[in-house]
Amino acid sequence: MKTFKITAFLMITTLFFASCSSDDNPPVNIPKGDYENGFFITNEGAFNTGTGTITFVGDDGKVSQNIYKTVNNEDLGNVVQSMTLKGDKAYIVVNNSNKIVVANRYTFKKEGVISEDISNPRYMVAENDRAFVSNWGDPSDPSDDFISVINLNTNQVINTISVGEGPENMLIVNTKLFVNLKGGWGHNDQVAIIDLQTQSLIENVGVGDVPNSLIDDGRGNVWILCGGISWPVNSQSEGKLVRMSAATGSVIRIYNFDTTEHPAFLNFDGGNLYYNLEGKVYKMSPSSADLPEESVAGLDGFFYSMATYYGDMYATDAKDFNSEGELKIFNLASGTLLETIPAGIIPGSVVFQQ
Amino acid sequence: MMKYIFLTFTLAAGLSVFSQNDSINKLEEVVLYGNFSPALNSGYTVDIIRDSVLKNNNLSLGDLLQKELNLYFKENGNGMVSSISLRGTSAAHTGVYWNGIAINSSLNGQTDFNTISANGFDAVDIRKGGGSVLLGSGAVGGAVNLRDRLNFTPDKKIFVQLGGGSYSTFKGNTQGEFSTEKYFAKASINYANSKNNYPYPDTDLYNENGEYINLGVQTVLGWKPNKNNRFSLHTYYTDNDRNTSGTLSAPSNSKLLNKDNRFLLSWKNTGTKYTSLLDLSSLDEKYTYLFQKDDSESATGNQSRDLIVKYDLTWFLFKNTSVKAGIINTYSTGKGDHIGSVSQNNFEMYTLWHQEVFDKLIYNISLRKGFSSVYRIPLIYAVDLNYNINDKFSIKSNYSTNYRLPTFNDLFWDPGGNPELKPENSTTGEIAFGFNNDGFKLQTSVYFLDSKNLIQWVPTQNNGIWEPKNIKESTGYGIEFELQKSMEMGKNHLRGSLQYAYTVSNDDALGKQLIYVPYHKAYGNLLYHYKNIFMNYNLQYTGEVYTTSSNSQALDDYWLSNIEFGYSFLKNKMNIGLHIKNIFKEAYQSVAYRPMPNRNYELNINYKID
Repeated sequence: MKTFKITAFLMITTLFFASCSSDDNPPVNIPKGDYENGFFITNEGAFNTGTGTITFVGDDGKVSQNIYKTVNNEDLGNVVQSMTLKGDKAYIVVNNSNKIVVANRYTFKKEGVISEDISNPRYMVAENDRAFVSNWGDPSDPSDDFISVINLNTNQVINTISVGEGPENMLIVNTKLFVNLKGGWGHNDQVAIIDLQTQSLIENVGVGDVPNSLIDDGRGNVWILCGGISWPVNSQSEGKLVRMSAATGSVIRIYNFDTTEHPAFLNFDGGNLYYNLEGKVYKMSPSSADLPEESVAGLDGFFYSMATYYGDMYATDAKDFNSEGELKIFNLASGTLLETIPAGIIPGSVVFQQ
Repeated sequence: MMKYIFLTFTLAAGLSVFSQNDSINKLEEVVLYGNFSPALNSGYTVDIIRDSVLKNNNLSLGDLLQKELNLYFKENGNGMVSSISLRGTSAAHTGVYWNGIAINSSLNGQTDFNTISANGFDAVDIRKGGGSVLLGSGAVGGAVNLRDRLNFTPDKKIFVQLGGGSYSTFKGNTQGEFSTEKYFAKASINYANSKNNYPYPDTDLYNENGEYINLGVQTVLGWKPNKNNRFSLHTYYTDNDRNTSGTLSAPSNSKLLNKDNRFLLSWKNTGTKYTSLLDLSSLDEKYTYLFQKDDSESATGNQSRDLIVKYDLTWFLFKNTSVKAGIINTYSTGKGDHIGSVSQNNFEMYTLWHQEVFDKLIYNISLRKGFSSVYRIPLIYAVDLNYNINDKFSIKSNYSTNYRLPTFNDLFWDPGGNPELKPENSTTGEIAFGFNNDGFKLQTSVYFLDSKNLIQWVPTQNNGIWEPKNIKESTGYGIEFELQKSMEMGKNHLRGSLQYAYTVSNDDALGKQLIYVPYHKAYGNLLYHYKNIFMNYNLQYTGEVYTTSSNSQALDDYWLSNIEFGYSFLKNKMNIGLHIKNIFKEAYQSVAYRPMPNRNYELNINYKID
């Protein structure tokens, strides 16, 4: 082993010096790691006792499964809920294991674990040297939910902000943090708006039942998609698309779905909103007076997650939730399926480099 | 195709000797064992674990069955929820009975074999193969019956057992029995607690939050006013307080509380031409799950009550022929955080024709039909036979259709429960050849088991809610092999047993082996007695099992060896036993990410007064 290491060291240094031997040569782009050029898929892992994994899809088309374990020879833990990239770090939110694993985003080498003041974490958003993590606490207890504020230089939780039940995905717009209060095991129907300077709750704004996704349209609006209550069948509530002023937090407009319609996965791409409803994808202009009637042809399927990215749609299929799922990439405009990529068990999100 | 071969074979063999009649009356056995009686199950393998084995083992029912027979169990970590898989079926496809009354949970359709302690019972029957016609819902892969035996000869027995072992485990049980010619009374108490904090092999982790306390209390009262009538009242209460241990990938701070209370009042009336049996039973079940074990506000739970009226009449037409008919009405109610307040009523009836021909052939033909307030119950039937070629060779065969009825969770779970579900159906058949000679026994059987309308929970659309649907189909077959040899050499007594099972159970849609069904399962046991000492070596092999439906991930196979030493003294009134489990320190997992204990010890002392 030692001999191998020395040989490898010699080879690397030889190459390095060889490539730098002449000043006339153009500067060489030294790769930061194996996982620099491409995107990631987070996989929750088998339902009860499995471990979540990360899949890396290289720009060269090479797909690497379970990269965290490959590099670190340890499991991430139970239910990899989401992952956030910031600076040269990847923050992997592991829900049941009550932790956030910090790794180098290029090499995926583990750098640490944040677990103090983290309880049933869901998502993380970052800004400068701070990050905000939504925590459910005990999902059956509606009163112990909170946002952890993390100092990214020390990886310590420096503050916790108590919020209503079931904080889920979040969005930073200017000086505010918008938090969808989806509900833990129960239902919630609000968005919490938090002042980033004072790290305190400004207000809770009522939206619709079960807010499940939100986006910033870059024109001063936050759009919140509410799935509505879908169970029991005879006491459903309608889905809602809510346009909110990012500056004042006031609701500008509400688009109502039918009582039995429960949309999800709001995305924003090329100036248009996209969402999924009953296995079809709908496109809508932010200036539209009504919800669209027609779905986009070709983009059909019951997906486990859906994200738009520079004109394409990345949708994950968890299949039977007990075997490897896959990622399907569609062109948003034409609706054509461009590629199908194997993923891990229960692929829950796609994470892009920027 | 295979199923027709089995059916044709079974019917043909039966019909060819249909008109013959000359036999012995198996009345005694019918009376003794009810629907598990070997006579009514001539074409099936019924293993009986006797009280001498039950009393000397201080084990959960799951551990006991694995020690005595080649059975596969899935255990969610040591002492946690343990479920059986017979012939490649799921946990809800083994019927579990208490004195013939079905006790699988009305909520999830299963029995947790770690909530039942085996040594309070007088016998345990294990019947392999489809049995819904006589036994009802869920007896698809097989059935297990826990039996109390009533004794009406003047007698008095007291038994006390104390034991302790690794991971701060303490076990104790006591039983007392008193009988006259008219009366019988028995009481039994079982208690076990353990910190269960064993280190996970090859890691610096240990089994956190694995503590358990299990209590079981049983009573039996019997009254035999005359030789034609017998009344008995059976009660069985269990209280299991278990923290649910963490896994390699996530910690746990949760707790599971189970309380089950069962009553059975039974009246047996025998005439010269008939036996009639009336059972009135009530089964209460309650579980509470605490997400945070110290926070009572994090508790959720459900409970159910079954009220059962069962009547069974066996009429002896001729000396060798009997007809049996039975009706069962089960009224079930359930309530709780996840099912609301629900009820259902099921009425089922069955009939059976039993005939013994020439002393050589015994066969049964049976039918069952049920009616439910919630779903439609199909008509099912079974034929089985036993043919003794000579006093050494015998053939058994059976063919049956079976069902498993949807449970309260399947129908009404909030969210997702689907009241439109229908029963699952299975068809199964078997041929077995046996050879028996002077302490040597060899048996081999082949079977198929196909299931349709299997209930599977699947996510619906994109609202993230899971809903059960009758969508899965499976095709399975297997081979079972058993070899036994007993020897006596002076005061040396030796008994060896080897068993092997090959099991294929395919998900038809995927064309893959079902998860947690090992292709290979093997078993060996060697018992040696010399005067008042004994030694038992037990080997359990579990082959690789897949943990993903695509068969992409698997748990390693494992060999588990346990050894026991025993010594009897004070005229065999006192017995001391040392049990060393996992002697070769096999690092193994029964369920993924839940390591099982390394080598561990248990010491037992028991004392009996006869």
